Amino acid sequence: MEGSGRDAGVVDATERLRQIEALTDAALAHLNVEDLLDELLDRLRDTLQVDTAAVLLLDADGSALIATAARGIEEEVRQGVRIPVRKGFAGRIAAEARPVILDRVDETTVANPLLIAKGIRAMAGVPLIDSGELVGVLHVGSISDREFGTEEVELLQMVADRVTGATRARLAATERDAALALQRSLMPSRLPEIAGLDLAARYIPGGGKGIGGDWYDVFTLSGGRVGLVIGDVSGHGLKAAVVMGRLRSALRAYALESSDPAEVLRRLDAKLLHFEPGEMATVQFALIDPSFNRIAVSSAGHLPPVVAAPGGAGAGLADIIADPPLGVRPGIPRSSTEVSLPVGGVLCFYTDGLIERRGESIDTGLDRLLQSVRPARSEEVAVEVMAHLVGATMAEDDIALLAVHRQVEGASDPLVLHLPAQPDALARLRSAARRWLAANGAEGEEVDEILLAVAEASTNVVEHAYGPGGGELAVLFELADGVVTITVRDHGHWREARGTNRGRGLLIMERCTDDVRIHRDADGTTVVLRHAIAGEGKP
Amino acid sequence: MTEAIVTTTLGPDRTDIAIRGEIDLANFAAVQAQVNQAIDNRTIAVRIDLTDVTFIDSTGLRVLFALVATLERLQVGLELCAPESSPARRVIELSGLSSLVRVVPDGG
Repeated sequence: MEGSGRDAGVVDATERLRQIEALTDAALAHLNVEDLLDELLDRLRDTLQVDTAAVLLLDADGSALIATAARGIEEEVRQGVRIPVRKGFAGRIAAEARPVILDRVDETTVANPLLIAKGIRAMAGVPLIDSGELVGVLHVGSISDREFGTEEVELLQMVADRVTGATRARLAATERDAALALQRSLMPSRLPEIAGLDLAARYIPGGGKGIGGDWYDVFTLSGGRVGLVIGDVSGHGLKAAVVMGRLRSALRAYALESSDPAEVLRRLDAKLLHFEPGEMATVQFALIDPSFNRIAVSSAGHLPPVVAAPGGAGAGLADIIADPPLGVRPGIPRSSTEVSLPVGGVLCFYTDGLIERRGESIDTGLDRLLQSVRPARSEEVAVEVMAHLVGATMAEDDIALLAVHRQVEGASDPLVLHLPAQPDALARLRSAARRWLAANGAEGEEVDEILLAVAEASTNVVEHAYGPGGGELAVLFELADGVVTITVRDHGHWREARGTNRGRGLLIMERCTDDVRIHRDADGTTVVLRHAIAGEGKP
Repeated sequence: MTEAIVTTTLGPDRTDIAIRGEIDLANFAAVQAQVNQAIDNRTIAVRIDLTDVTFIDSTGLRVLFALVATLERLQVGLELCAPESSPARRVIELSGLSSLVRVVPDGG
C-alpha cells in the first residue's frame, strides 16, 4: 500500500514539477525575486505535500543564512531569522553542502526556535549551489510524522536548482542596478566652476567584469585651493561601489583638515585598513594652490597623470613618486610630488580601464593615451581620448577620466564670477582676481588696492544684501585702455550697517580706486569701481 | 574659508602676536578670539605684527579697532607693526586707525 501510494505521489510530483519549471519562464519575468520564490515555494508545498517551505540565502560575508522566502512559516522572513553557518539544521546543510533529513526536530537538531514552536516533526533540506558555490539553503517541514525519502530529496534538489537559477539572474540584475545607481549618485553631477580651470570628466561603467569601484572627484577648498581625485577600488559589483563611496567621502573630510596630499592619503589608508580590512584601492590626490602654479600630487599605486604643455613638446607622464596602494599594510610612509601645469596646459587623470585591453601590453595603451592628449580645452581632450582609446568597443572594466585645462587668463578677456553671497566666497574671489590681474599686467600696489576695493564692495553684498535665504554675488572684471573696471552686483537690498566699527567700506573703496559709482534699483545694487593700471594691460 | 595663523610670543614686558595669512569676513571672528585669548590681565604691552598679512580689509580691521578700545580700557599698551606699502599698512592708514595707535614699520 505504501509503495504504490508513493509511486502515485511521485508521478503526480513529476507532473507538478513541470508547473514549477514553467514558473521560471519569461511569462513570470515581471515578478521580483521575493514573489517568484513565494510562488515556487507554494507549488513545492503542493507537490511534496509538506506544511512549510523556506529559502535562506547566504549573507554578503558568507557567515550566516538569512530567511528570504517562507511559506507556511512566514514569520521566519518577517522576523528576519538569521542562522549562523554550521549551526542547526540549515547551518548544517550549508556547512556540509549536501542534503540533510531530520526525523526529530528539537533543540539538539535545529537552531531556529520557530520550527519547534510550529510543531514541525520532520524536515528535509538541500543546499542551493551556484557554479560550485553555496548561495543558500532550501528546506521543507512536515507537522505530521513523516520519513523523507531519496526521491523527495531528489525532487527538492531539482527545485533548488530552479530557485538558484531564478534568483541568480534577478539578484545579479538588482545588484548591477544598485551598484550603477550608487556610482551615478556619487559622481559629481556637475563639476565645480573654477575661474581659470576648465574641467571635463567621463565615467563608463564596466561591461565585462561588471561595475567596479572607479571614481573621480573635484572640490574647492579654503583659500581658493582645488582638490582633484581619481581612484579605483579593487573588485567589482555593489561592494566595490560601496567601498568607493566611503573612501570618497573620507578623502573629502581629510582634505578639509590637511593641506598635504600625502597626509590625506596616509589617513585614508589607516581608515581603510581599520574599517574595511581586506579591501584595496589605488588613489591619486592632487591639490592645486590658489595661484595654480603648484600642484602637489600624492599617488597610492595609481597610474601617473598625463601632462601636455603648450609648445608642441607632446604629452608625457608626470614624474611623480608612486607609493603603494591603500589597504596593503599599516604605516606605509607616503609622499607628495610637485607637478607644474603651465598656462594653456592639460593634466589628465585616468583609471587603468582606459588603457588596459585584453591581450595587449599596458605600454601600448599608455602610448595611445599620450598620443591623444594635447593642450586644448578639457572637453576636446576628453572627446579625443575616449574616441582613440575606447572607440566603439564595450568597456571591459570601469573607465574614469578627469581632464583639467589651465585656461589662458587675461589677454583682455573679462573675468566673470558668480559666487554664493557667503563669507567663504571672498577668498575664492580674491584668488581668481589675483590671477586675472597678474595676467593683465597689474602689479604691486595696484593689485592690493583693487583687491581691497573689491573686497569692501563684496563684503557689503555678503553682509547686507540678502536675508537668511542668501543670494548671489556677481563680479565682473574688465580691462580697456589701461583701466580695470570691476562691477559688483547683487539682487538684494542693502540694509544699514550694524554694529560698531562699521561703515568704513565706502571710504576705503573711494580712496583705493579712481572712481566709485553705486547704483541701487528694484533689482538690487551695482557697484562699479575703476582703477587705472600702469602696465596698460600688457604683461 | 580664509586662513590666518596667529602666533603668540610671551616676553617679559610685552606680548608679541604675529598674524600671517588673510583676514576677511570669513575668519575675522576666529582671529579676534585667538588674539583675545593671547592677552590676559597681567599683560603690560602688546605688539601685533601684521607684516605677513597678505590681505586685510575693513572687516579685518574690526578686530584691531575693537582691540584698541579694549586695551585702552585695560591700560595695556598697543602697537601695530606694518611695513610701508604692505596690505595692512595701506588699510590702517586709509581707515584712520593710524591716528589711534602707534604703527611701526618693522618688528625690530
